[in-house]
Amino acid sequence: MSADTTPTPVRSSWRMPNWLESILGQLIALGIAIIGGAILIILVGEDPILVFTTLLRGAFGNSERIAGSLLQATPIIIAGVAACIALRGGLFNIGVEGQLYMGGFAAAFVGFQFALPTGLHMLVALAAAVVAGGLWILIPAFFRARFGTNEVVSTILSNYVAILLTSYFTIDVFKRPGGWSETDPVATTAYLPQLFEFSRLNFGLFIGLALAIGFHLFLTRTSRGYDMNTMGANMKFAEYGGIAVKRNILVILLCSGAVGGLAGGVETLGVHHRFMEGFAPGFGFDGVIAALLANGSPIGVIFTALFFGALRAGSLLMEVETNASREVITVFQAIIILCVSAQILLRRRRDSSQGERRWKF
Amino acid sequence: MEVLETIFNVSLIAAMLRTTTPILLVALGGTFTTKAGIFNIGLEGQMLLGAFFAVLGSLWTQSAWGGVAIGVLAAMCVALTFSFFVVTLRANEVVVGLALNILAGGLTITLTKAIFGTRGSIVSGDIVGLPRLHIPVIEDLGSLGKALGSFTPLIYLAFILVFVVWVIIYRTKLGLYIRVAGEKPAAAEALGIPTGLMQHIASLLCGVLAGLAGAHLSLGYITMFAENMSSGRGFMAVAVLIFSAGDPVKVLFGCLLFGFADALSLRLQTFGLSSYLVLTVPYLVTLGALFLLTYRQRPKIFRETAESLQLIRREKA
Amino acid sequence: MAFAVEMIGVSKSFGPVAANRDVSFGVRHGEIHALVGENGAGKTTLMNILFGLMQPDSGEIRIDGKPVVMESPRTSIGLGLGMVHQHFKLVPSLTVAENMFLGMEITKAGLVDRKAQSEKARALSEEFGLRIDPDRRIHELSVGAEQRVEILKVLARGANVVILDEPTAVLTPQESRDLFRIIRRFADTGMTVIFISHHLDEVLEVSDTVTVLRDGAVVGTRPTKELDEDSLVNMMVGRQVNFDRRERKKMSGNTVLELRDVFARDDRGLPALRGIDLEVRAGEIVGIVGVDGNGQTELSEVVSGLRAPSHGEIFLDGKAVEGSDPRHMRAAGLAHVPADRLVRGVNPGADIASNILMGRQHVAPWAKKGLIRWGKVRELARELMQRFDIRAKDEHVAVKTLSGGNMQKVVVAREFSQHMPLLLIDQPTRGVDIGAMEGIHDEIIRRRDAGAAILLISVQIDEILALADRVLVMFNGGISGEVDPANTTEEEIGYLMAGGSRSKEAAA
Repeated sequence: MSADTTPTPVRSSWRMPNWLESILGQLIALGIAIIGGAILIILVGEDPILVFTTLLRGAFGNSERIAGSLLQATPIIIAGVAACIALRGGLFNIGVEGQLYMGGFAAAFVGFQFALPTGLHMLVALAAAVVAGGLWILIPAFFRARFGTNEVVSTILSNYVAILLTSYFTIDVFKRPGGWSETDPVATTAYLPQLFEFSRLNFGLFIGLALAIGFHLFLTRTSRGYDMNTMGANMKFAEYGGIAVKRNILVILLCSGAVGGLAGGVETLGVHHRFMEGFAPGFGFDGVIAALLANGSPIGVIFTALFFGALRAGSLLMEVETNASREVITVFQAIIILCVSAQILLRRRRDSSQGERRWKF
Repeated sequence: MEVLETIFNVSLIAAMLRTTTPILLVALGGTFTTKAGIFNIGLEGQMLLGAFFAVLGSLWTQSAWGGVAIGVLAAMCVALTFSFFVVTLRANEVVVGLALNILAGGLTITLTKAIFGTRGSIVSGDIVGLPRLHIPVIEDLGSLGKALGSFTPLIYLAFILVFVVWVIIYRTKLGLYIRVAGEKPAAAEALGIPTGLMQHIASLLCGVLAGLAGAHLSLGYITMFAENMSSGRGFMAVAVLIFSAGDPVKVLFGCLLFGFADALSLRLQTFGLSSYLVLTVPYLVTLGALFLLTYRQRPKIFRETAESLQLIRREKA
Repeated sequence: MAFAVEMIGVSKSFGPVAANRDVSFGVRHGEIHALVGENGAGKTTLMNILFGLMQPDSGEIRIDGKPVVMESPRTSIGLGLGMVHQHFKLVPSLTVAENMFLGMEITKAGLVDRKAQSEKARALSEEFGLRIDPDRRIHELSVGAEQRVEILKVLARGANVVILDEPTAVLTPQESRDLFRIIRRFADTGMTVIFISHHLDEVLEVSDTVTVLRDGAVVGTRPTKELDEDSLVNMMVGRQVNFDRRERKKMSGNTVLELRDVFARDDRGLPALRGIDLEVRAGEIVGIVGVDGNGQTELSEVVSGLRAPSHGEIFLDGKAVEGSDPRHMRAAGLAHVPADRLVRGVNPGADIASNILMGRQHVAPWAKKGLIRWGKVRELARELMQRFDIRAKDEHVAVKTLSGGNMQKVVVAREFSQHMPLLLIDQPTRGVDIGAMEGIHDEIIRRRDAGAAILLISVQIDEILALADRVLVMFNGGISGEVDPANTTEEEIGYLMAGGSRSKEAAA
């Protein structure tokens, strides 16, 4: 209170629309991240311009590479929607990574263990992924809804368990004889259809886009979406207004986990066609960051996820052609999030300090 | 019975104290931020960066303590960034904490590759690890004494720090101000105690201890750095902090529990159980404790009993 | 002789709202100076500026004739000022002594010397006749005792100018009288007291000089003996206030709300409601008054479903209400205007239409088949904005940008337009300007005349007396009596607010 000494300037009659302002904020954050990334690249003894151009070439150089970027973006979109679901309900699901692993394994298991007709097999496998993801968040969700147990910590810790557990299944139980750390391949009847000959880009992309758009419509058009959005904006108002807060917390987290599981299922059935140890490192986390960067907007997630997908795809080429490691992009992402977290806050502080979303930065 | 004896023996206790140390150090660091009213999910990243720079420092200075100092400094930098965003800019603490964890993960791998040209880990005979102390008085106390009398200094320090942190928090002005900043900032502001500064200081102190925790990981028993070697201990510390409300003594007991789970899981591996399953034990124990304790602390719907009703009525009359 | 405290031309605004405009006044040594004005007149802001908690946009502060800049409370404390805030700034988990010496601890070898602090605290409390056990923790104390700690805190800092912000708001009349005696003693020993209040009788009783603020500006400074209640009201409000009671209609409708022997515990697990029996009939307004903290909050929470009763039964429309959830209460026929609109009453970031929708989002015609029909919702919002005189450009305006009065009207409009049989109204006009206040009062009467059962809780006794058909007085978690608002006196209510004959023990 005492620090706030500057008088508020008289506001001009014209104000930037909110969406424009937030995109502008995002761009400034990107700019700072580029500078920060460049400094890091110089520190590790590389030429930033070379690294960035290689990154761009890797992401958009030709149609194959563009498809590669979209391929990388696919699980991030789905995982991002999973994180958005929790965020919009006023909750955190940092456990998307774990749900993704569980979902990936469940889909692969159905894929190699059972024989079913084409199409149906895929649907059953995806359903298994959804169920696995939902089950994986069930206990943290139950305790959050019922007893208020901090879901940030419980979902983060459950990631470690999920990754170890799927490794156990893969290596100690279902390991393909003679192979690497992977299970038997999934039957072709369970494959997600591929879109092009030259890329593993698959139908999963459309699943992701449909989820994002569907969730957006749910939030803005439906009664339950209104309930959920209100919980995320002001939990006490939601409770006072008669929304079934506890039940909704459980349902929201379960849905978030289920979609997280779906992300894993899509990744195994669309790309790897088997479950491999460490098959999708960081996609779940990228989804969470993409959702935060998009400020919880599912439409925004499409773009932030595409951006992160392109970064990932580009980083593969970058690592081959330069001495910079591909984790440079992780640093890059972290800087963007930091900048955005500070910025949106500056805007909000000017408006009002009331009724902030718990997660909103 | 024999099996149990093989599992539960003196060396298990020694192993437990060893595995307790990093989580205890980082959790003690977290007591400062917890008491200052900051939910510090960024402990993991501070610890990881501390571990990395401790190795780097050890190589540069050719001294284990030089390494520890540089590790601590690195963790303090992260801590300061954290408090700058969270306190000064009032950004969301979960978001900033996560971002810094991601940053630490990416940065350590990038720098490892840039400096050593390897991916994932730094292994070198030139890394100077922390020496083992030999405390004659304790070592003379039979087999248990032998096990307990020859640890690296950071292990002793961690347990001494429980007391030190307790004194700082409950008996010094600084600790008092940190608690007030966390519990009732308005009270502090009204008396001109700068709450923001207190939170920055708390975060820096937290950084010091998280850095020590990291240094213990990479220079303590194994002298190497591996990608993500903090493996969730920072998050476990956060869990401990949640149900201990940042009280150093409760933190100690919580951490001993996880140290025990950690040591037990290492021991169980030698019995041919899948190492993957065994490694989940510490996480499961943490989660179990978190759920159990929040269940016990749940808001209760109070129903009056006949006696309590009578008591209240009498009080009123 | 120079003033002890003088403020010259002080202005402060928050965004477009001017809290203080060119305020100038002086306080003489050894006097009790009352600063009066309505809620929102800028008294507290002004004192926060004087105390260094806020910086003025312009203006000057002089202490003993010397211009000073109050950079922070440290500066003002150093200059001999001390402030007892309306909302106590005590740390619940610390002891009385620790709170008193916060920021000026007595240390020994780098550690806080708690024993020495306790002793000094005890000595100080005896010196000034403020009884308190220095080793008790604050969360174990009663409100009156907390206030004594706040005053001791100020004295421990050697203050010779004491600022008291609405000190009697939380006290029973007896406790208030004790406080006045203490204040008088301060003045007699040469200390200067600045006393903020909007209770005219208190001001006239205790002060030497009065400065009146209205809309952030000084109306005038007068010696108290030149003033009486009427002239003071005139200065405060700028016009004669109509305290006429509204027309009362005795309607004997069905019982809509009934509480039978209801008990409840507060957040600390202490008894907060002790056997409440209460009935509200269709077409009547039942008013609840009491000193803050005597169970009104818990009563409101129990009726709204936000707090589970620990014993007893609640009937709405003759049916027992199962469980405790706002959802169930609303389904059974409750509409509720909460005490704190920003915390519960609105979703500040959302627009007016979306706030109006709350409670109807699953109900036709605003929703059909799970889909919200935003066209209908916006239509309703526009209609309500007109009817309740909500001043905003259109229904797309975010609620957080509205003034307090308009925000409250959004809440009132949403709740009143649901035509529920029971209306629970908690602090209907807190922080609302006079124009909006009258509008809200009219609407309350209109709902009553339409047959709603209304439970009205307010800290403003005037408001309750003006609106209610029956008035229940709460004390210590129970109902200490019922009065007829048409022919009761402030004395009668004050007596009941202090628990009747049991006042002495209970207040301690």
